[in-house]
Amino acid sequence: MPRFDFVRAHTVDEALQLLADPRYVSRPLAGGTDVLVLVRQEKPSFDRVVDISRIAELKVIERRGAEVIVGAAVTFTEAADSPLLQEAAGCLVEACLAVGGPAIRNAGTLGGNIINAAACADGVPPLVCLDTVARLRSLTAARCLPVSALIQGANRTALQPGELLTHFAFPVPPIGVRQAFTKLGRRNAQAISRLGMAATGRLDAQGRVDYVRLAPGAVMPSPQRLEGVEALLLGQEPTDSLLAAAGQKTAEAMIAATGRRWSTEYKELAIQALAARTLHRALFGT
Amino acid sequence: MQIEFRLNGQPAAVEAPPDITLLDLLRDRLHLTGTKEGCSVGECGACSVLIDGQLYNSCLVLAPQVEGREVITIEGITAPDGGPNDLQENFIVHGAVQCGFCIPGMVLAGEALLRRKPNPTRAEIRAGLAGNLCRCTGYQHIVDAIEATARQRLSVPADALIS
Repeated sequence: MPRFDFVRAHTVDEALQLLADPRYVSRPLAGGTDVLVLVRQEKPSFDRVVDISRIAELKVIERRGAEVIVGAAVTFTEAADSPLLQEAAGCLVEACLAVGGPAIRNAGTLGGNIINAAACADGVPPLVCLDTVARLRSLTAARCLPVSALIQGANRTALQPGELLTHFAFPVPPIGVRQAFTKLGRRNAQAISRLGMAATGRLDAQGRVDYVRLAPGAVMPSPQRLEGVEALLLGQEPTDSLLAAAGQKTAEAMIAATGRRWSTEYKELAIQALAARTLHRALFGT
Repeated sequence: MQIEFRLNGQPAAVEAPPDITLLDLLRDRLHLTGTKEGCSVGECGACSVLIDGQLYNSCLVLAPQVEGREVITIEGITAPDGGPNDLQENFIVHGAVQCGFCIPGMVLAGEALLRRKPNPTRAEIRAGLAGNLCRCTGYQHIVDAIEATARQRLSVPADALIS
């Protein structure tokens, strides 16, 4: 007796019909890199998987007016290969290339990364840094939530039963804004992030910061931009000592959110350097 | 359920339950045991296969997901005469094989890389193998074998290449 059934959806509407079917506990399946690990369990928490990986609407990467739209079933490889995202979302492209190895990137999707909501998910800091909004649909409603609000904690999201994450949308960053993502893991490949950091930034003609965004990964219970750190930098010349102060303030924000833990002694120093270096790359390109 | 796809260049139709992985479909139903089961959670790459030319961990693919797709396993990587192809020959020549358990995955990762990047740097070869673990060789000779293959393939006319 199979432990669950398999059905393929060809459109978002069909997927929503299938997910809303009260006879089943359905689980959407896109890249499978997280769901297939659950499948190994003797009694999975679902009795039907709905394959959404071939829905064309969920695979778009396009510019619409002042926004970039990315379908939830876009894989890490597809995102990293996209000229549009290379241009408009460099920190996201760098983060996608930091995920797993080639086979994981070929399968895993941005939507799955966010809905699985692992604390270490590499897609989170860049999407939050870019002020990304998640578009959710159910049979009866559609709504938008910032990614920072969709993720409520480790492996917890605001997604309701029957709801499907269909797209991400973020504003095209202003001209001249550079981006960077840095990941700290035990090794380069296949390692989950201990810390991640996404930053965007720009200097004005006088060499002062006139645009900056910073979002850490793997350290906050719920992801967020560090607006206090951004305010420290805005309008200032980003000297080494100012970037070090920004690193210090980032560490303070982490400790304020998580308290002091066994790993804090290490992470406090590591996140200072990670924030300063990532900001440096976003502001100066190196 | 019935699953129809192309397997190593031939049409395949298999009756299988919907809740098994592609890895189990290949090994247990189709008896293609060249694809190895290592970690079963996408960490080791021993179960690597190509789906529509791209590298996947077959332990992280549900069997029904390959409906209509082209799957290539290590059994499908051969020279026209059925022997080892150029990449596999180079694994032998460069001493890239010890216990051999990871090698089917390494060969497929190498093929996937060379399809994407016909002229890779050593760093790019290492990045291409990043999802494949080997406990014996230290990787050096595996990288050598892929690098040598790339060089040879670039120096012969494209229509003489082994697909």
